[in-house]
Parts: sequence; structure tokens; C-alpha cells
Amino acid sequence: MNVRRTALRVFTHAALALVALAFLFPFYWLLISAFKSKSEIFTLPPQWWPSPWRLDNFEQLFATIPIVRCFANSLIAATGHCALALFLCSLAGYAFAKFPRAPGHGKLFAFVLATMMLPTAITLIPVFHVLCKLHAVNTYWAMIVPGAANAFGIFWMRQYAAENVPDELLDAARIDGCGEFALYRRIALPVMRPALAALGILLFIGNWNNLMWAFIVLRTQDMYTLPLIIYLLNGENRTPFELIMAASLFATVPLVAAFILFQRHFIRGITAGALKG
Amino acid sequence: MPSIEPRPGVRDCAMKTPLKKRLWASRHFYVFIAPFFALFAVFGLYPLLFSFYLGFLQWDGLSPKQWVGLSNFENLLHDEILFASLRNTVTIGLMYIPPMFIGAFVFALLLDTAWLRFRGLFRAVFFLPVVTPMVVVAIVFGLLYGQEAGLLNYVVEKLGWERIPWVVSESWSKPSVAGLLVWRWTGYNMVLMLAGLQGISPGYYEAARIDGANAWQRLWYITLPLMRPTFVFCTIMSLIGTVYMFDEVFVLTQGGPGTSSTNFGLYLFNTSFTDFKFGYASAMAYVVALFVFLASLLVLRLRKREEGTDQ
Repeated sequence: MNVRRTALRVFTHAALALVALAFLFPFYWLLISAFKSKSEIFTLPPQWWPSPWRLDNFEQLFATIPIVRCFANSLIAATGHCALALFLCSLAGYAFAKFPRAPGHGKLFAFVLATMMLPTAITLIPVFHVLCKLHAVNTYWAMIVPGAANAFGIFWMRQYAAENVPDELLDAARIDGCGEFALYRRIALPVMRPALAALGILLFIGNWNNLMWAFIVLRTQDMYTLPLIIYLLNGENRTPFELIMAASLFATVPLVAAFILFQRHFIRGITAGALKG
Repeated sequence: MPSIEPRPGVRDCAMKTPLKKRLWASRHFYVFIAPFFALFAVFGLYPLLFSFYLGFLQWDGLSPKQWVGLSNFENLLHDEILFASLRNTVTIGLMYIPPMFIGAFVFALLLDTAWLRFRGLFRAVFFLPVVTPMVVVAIVFGLLYGQEAGLLNYVVEKLGWERIPWVVSESWSKPSVAGLLVWRWTGYNMVLMLAGLQGISPGYYEAARIDGANAWQRLWYITLPLMRPTFVFCTIMSLIGTVYMFDEVFVLTQGGPGTSSTNFGLYLFNTSFTDFKFGYASAMAYVVALFVFLASLLVLRLRKREEGTDQ
């Protein structure tokens, strides 16, 4: 009925689709480069579609670099970090939400909030120093433990628990003789699941993608995480770009796949971190 | 009011019970927060204090610590690279934040319109860069930015221009980093702004429509003012992010050529873990953190004042 409006809408869709393609372009480039030989990556005019799709890069990657081990390291570090942080933050967050009359409650919480303002950049050296003292450099612990006592995590969990865990239910269970830890495990934790998922995704992605800390605390190839091995391959002489592309694809696909499956949770989780400011 | 004397026995229990009993009654609270605070003490609080103490020392992590008083702080004032890195931080911020903001806001507005199809798909595509490992992003961009065989220069040549030395010249390294940052963070800000837009009550738009406001007027007089808190929030987040970002420059340009794309985060890292000047780096981290904190506070204040004059 309204030609101009329809035209405008079609145009908007087309323009947005173009921008979306531009956003996808680096992923497309990563994908096709992982299946090219090194010389094919750099030929001009560029090869827009690998012919043939070579699997050599992956064969060589598995043969020359402990990439599976690195994948496992990344997975252990990120999962461990996530599990530890979620346990600490949910337990303490629940306590801050549900025991408001404990002496010192307000001061302790204000203290946690205040430390949220301080950037991690300040603590890099001392944390590294502590890990040295504990002989934890080049172990999984170095990737798992620092940052697990996350002030933002407590804040996030407390907010959710205060609003969503019903006091009546806790009191009823208490009267029935349920222990305090069982209250947390059986009643609070299941209710807090959405908040746990959001925080967990935020922490997992941060840990999985972390290059700087891995660079500082991991020393031997058998302990490297994926970002670190990719970075170090990149720094080698006669940089093996074809292997780097294959390894990069290897590091990117799991998160992208998970993101596509659990889009809403991911966006909620990652933007939850924005509250930190 | 001394006349209102509480009847014995009904006084507030908390007032009467001795502290010891109250502590005992809340023992579960302390047990539940204990694991967190134990780790927090070791990996959060102690580092904060130790780092402050380090600011007054000269130390490479191995040899004995040496007390140097305020000289680290004095040296900061003469540190050319520090000031260059701070200038670079601001320049890169000015280069990428405006286009990113406009992009994010336009996408958010579009994704918020009822007639747009494939909204979920568009949102996912724009957000995808955020879940990609930064090291991968930087390496792929490095390939695209390549001087001889990079795709961008291929296109530039096809268009009849001269090749651009994207990451290998002092004048182009900052815009190249900025380009990567726009790609990386637009979707993130878009989602935050989308949340802001969806928080605006539809009642305002209804009222404006009844009063005869057209779409531009509604955008100008309703959306933009009400989005201001979100804008301020995104600005502060981006500023802080630019100061402390690391992977982006570390992988794409190593801060170079020279120090042309070294931001504060990279310089701090180099001072700490390449030069092992732990004392000096700690002093630097504290001072800059203080300024960043004050700057964020200032932005917040300005907004508060603006709000005050609006009404």
C-alpha cells in the first residue's frame, strides 16, 4: 500500500545484511585459510574458495604440536575456574542475601563492593608472586584459582538470591530439620541456576580466551592453553600460518557453536559483566 | 523520647543478646563466606596491599627488595613512553569509540523496530566477535592487514590507490587497531543499548505520537535523552577497556612500530614482565588506576549535573 515505506524496509534489510556479511567476513577468512596451504593463503589474487579443501594442516597440527593436550588444558583450566568461582560466589552470595542480621554483614559486603572498583592490572605482579611462593607457576592451579574469589560474582549472586530464593521456603525447610548447607544445596542452588549460568559463561569465556595470564604463568608446552600456543606459533620464525589458522579454528569453533546453541544465555552472561562498572 | 520505655521482654532481641550469642546464631553465615574470603585475602586483598608497598621499592622479583621512597613516582613524571602510551590510549579511543557507538546505536534502533525480520540472526552475527578468542581475531586481522599479500591492500590496489602500510607504519598502526576494536566491540555495545532501549516505557512514545511528534522528533526528544545513562555507562566501560586492553595490540602490532600503538595496558605488561621492574610497574598501575577512577567519576558527575539542569 505504501510503496515508499516498503522500499525503505527492503533497503534497510539489504543494508543490514551487507553489514552482517562484513562482520562475518573474518570468520569466513579464518575458515577457508585453515584449509589452504601456506602459499595459497598468500596468493594474489586471493583464493576465495579452497580448491581442494586440504586437511594437511590439521594432520600436521596433530602430528607436530600437542594441540589436543592444549585443548584439554584450556578445558580443564576454564572448567575448573568456573566451578570454583561459581561455588565460592554462590555460597557467599547466598549467605549475604539470606543472613542480613549477622554482625558485620553490611561492612563485609561494602568491602567486597569497594574492591570491585580496583582493576586487575594492579594485582598482576603480586598474584604472580604469590603463585611463585606456592610453587603453583606452570600448574593448572595458576589458571584456576586467581580471580575465582570474584567480587563481581558475589554481587551478582547476592542480587539474584535476594530476589528469587523465598525466605518462607527456607524457614519451612528449617523447621523440618533441614541443615543449613542442605538448604543452600537443595533449595537455593536450583533456584539460582539462571544466575549461575550467566556468571559461568562470562567466567568460562574470559578464562578460555585469556592470553595474558597464560603467557605469564605457563612455561612448558604440555601446560599451554590454546590462546598461548597460537600466540607462540605466531611468534616463530617462518611463521606457520597454515597451522595457526587450523589451530585458531580449533580454538574458536567450540565457543561459537555453544554461542549459537545457547545464544540468549551467552548474551545475558557476557553483558552481565557490564554491571561491574 | 525517654517516656517510651519498652516493656521488659519485648525489646529488640538483637539489642539484648550479647555479641557472642549473635555471632553464634549467625555462624552459618561466617562459614558460608569463609571460603570466599580466604581465597580473596590471598588473591585479592593481599595483592592490593603488596602492590601498593611495591610502589616504594625497586625489585625485579629475584634480588632483594630495595626501598627507594617516592622515586618511582617521581620517575613517572619523566617517563616519555608512559606519556606516549597514555596519548596512544586516548587517540585509539577517539578513533574507535565514536564509530562503534554510532554503529551500535543504529543497529540497536533497527533491532528494536517491530517490522525488522531475522532480528535474532542479526543480533547473533553482530555479537559473535565478542565470543571469539582475541588472539585469533588479532591474527586474522593481521593477515587481512598484510602489506604485500593482505586482502585489504589487494582491494585498495584494485580501487587504484596505493597500498596502505596498515600495521607497519607509525601513522597507520593506531587506525588499524581501532578498526579491529570496532569490529570486536560494536555488537557488545549494541546489546547493552538494546537493553537500554527496551527499558524505555512505550507510554512516552504513545504520548508523543498523540501530540503529533514525528519519528525524528521522537528519537531526538525521547530516545536520546532517556538513553543518556546507557551512553554514559558504555563510554566509561569503553574508556576503561581501552586503557587496560592488551591482547589486541600485543598480538596485532606488539605496540609498534616504535611505540606508536602501545597503549597503557601493554606498557604496564612490558614494564612488569619484560623488564621486570616490579616496583616501578606497581607505582604506575596505582597512579593510572587512580586517574582512571577519577575520570570515570567525573563523567558520572557531569551527567548528574546535566540532569539537574534539564529539569
